[in-house]
Amino acid sequence: MQSNFMEVEQRVKRYWFKDGLGELVGGGMILLIGFYFAGQEWLPEGSMGRTLLQSSLALLIIGGALATRWLVNVMKARLTYPRTGYVEYQAGAKNTSSRRLLTGGIAMSVSALLVVFGRFFGSFNWLPGFTGLVFGVTFILLRARANGVSRFYVLGTFCIILGMALSFTSLPMGYSLGLFYGLTGIVSMFSGGITLLRYLRENPLPIETDNE
Amino acid sequence: MNDLRGVTDLDRLIHEPARLLIVTILTPVESADFLFLQRETGLTKGNLSAHLSKLEEAGYVKIEKTFKGKLPLTICRLTTAGKKALIQYRQQLQDFMDKTA
Repeated sequence: MQSNFMEVEQRVKRYWFKDGLGELVGGGMILLIGFYFAGQEWLPEGSMGRTLLQSSLALLIIGGALATRWLVNVMKARLTYPRTGYVEYQAGAKNTSSRRLLTGGIAMSVSALLVVFGRFFGSFNWLPGFTGLVFGVTFILLRARANGVSRFYVLGTFCIILGMALSFTSLPMGYSLGLFYGLTGIVSMFSGGITLLRYLRENPLPIETDNE
Repeated sequence: MNDLRGVTDLDRLIHEPARLLIVTILTPVESADFLFLQRETGLTKGNLSAHLSKLEEAGYVKIEKTFKGKLPLTICRLTTAGKKALIQYRQQLQDFMDKTA
């Protein structure tokens, strides 16, 4: 009985991923990060472009996250809500400012640890593997397992394998990370695009658009 | 036998399958519109409207009628009383099933 209730609740939560828009737009953002890393490697050391690029990572991540959120909402309002209805999700009691601060603190500590690790071992070749593991675990645990969206298992596994494979290449770090983000972004966009096309085909616009 | 009498105290308003489904769908979200509820429950417009009215009368659901452009939009959200009623209903049902298992 309880599992029936949980199944209904999970189905409602899964609705957010039904149209693939999150992956499509988010994948574009990940692809941009890939260009960022590759561009940094490609530009000559000490050049103005490289310096500018290096100082713009925080802007790219924060601005990109905000832009992604805005674009997904705009596209959902145009494509999803008229077809299958509007849902506003709970912000969640866990999403408090202290929790956000803690997350930021953990992210900064992990980044600092990674730098120390890299200096200690004299190499950052393992960084794509670590990034792949973080992406993979996030996709598998927070998307596939928690929400029951099975395509994220494939995406998560792809990230882990790609990250590991790139760790064993002798590519410079920037290209290696650029390839990881670029390919992950493309695969995510492809997965989102296929999901969106299937969603649009299965859910044509109702003739009577009047909501009740 | 006396232990099982609790089942007669079940909230009949929520016990009705269609209304139970509506309330369960609204539990994990802040709000949902009429179209979403209709697609998820598979009810007709009239049927869904009637069930929503009963839930609104009981104070379990709050209904807001707004507009999206020129189209009317009906937004439904579960109230605190509705959440409490569902939790209590699930608990009563679980107790009953535990005793009869």
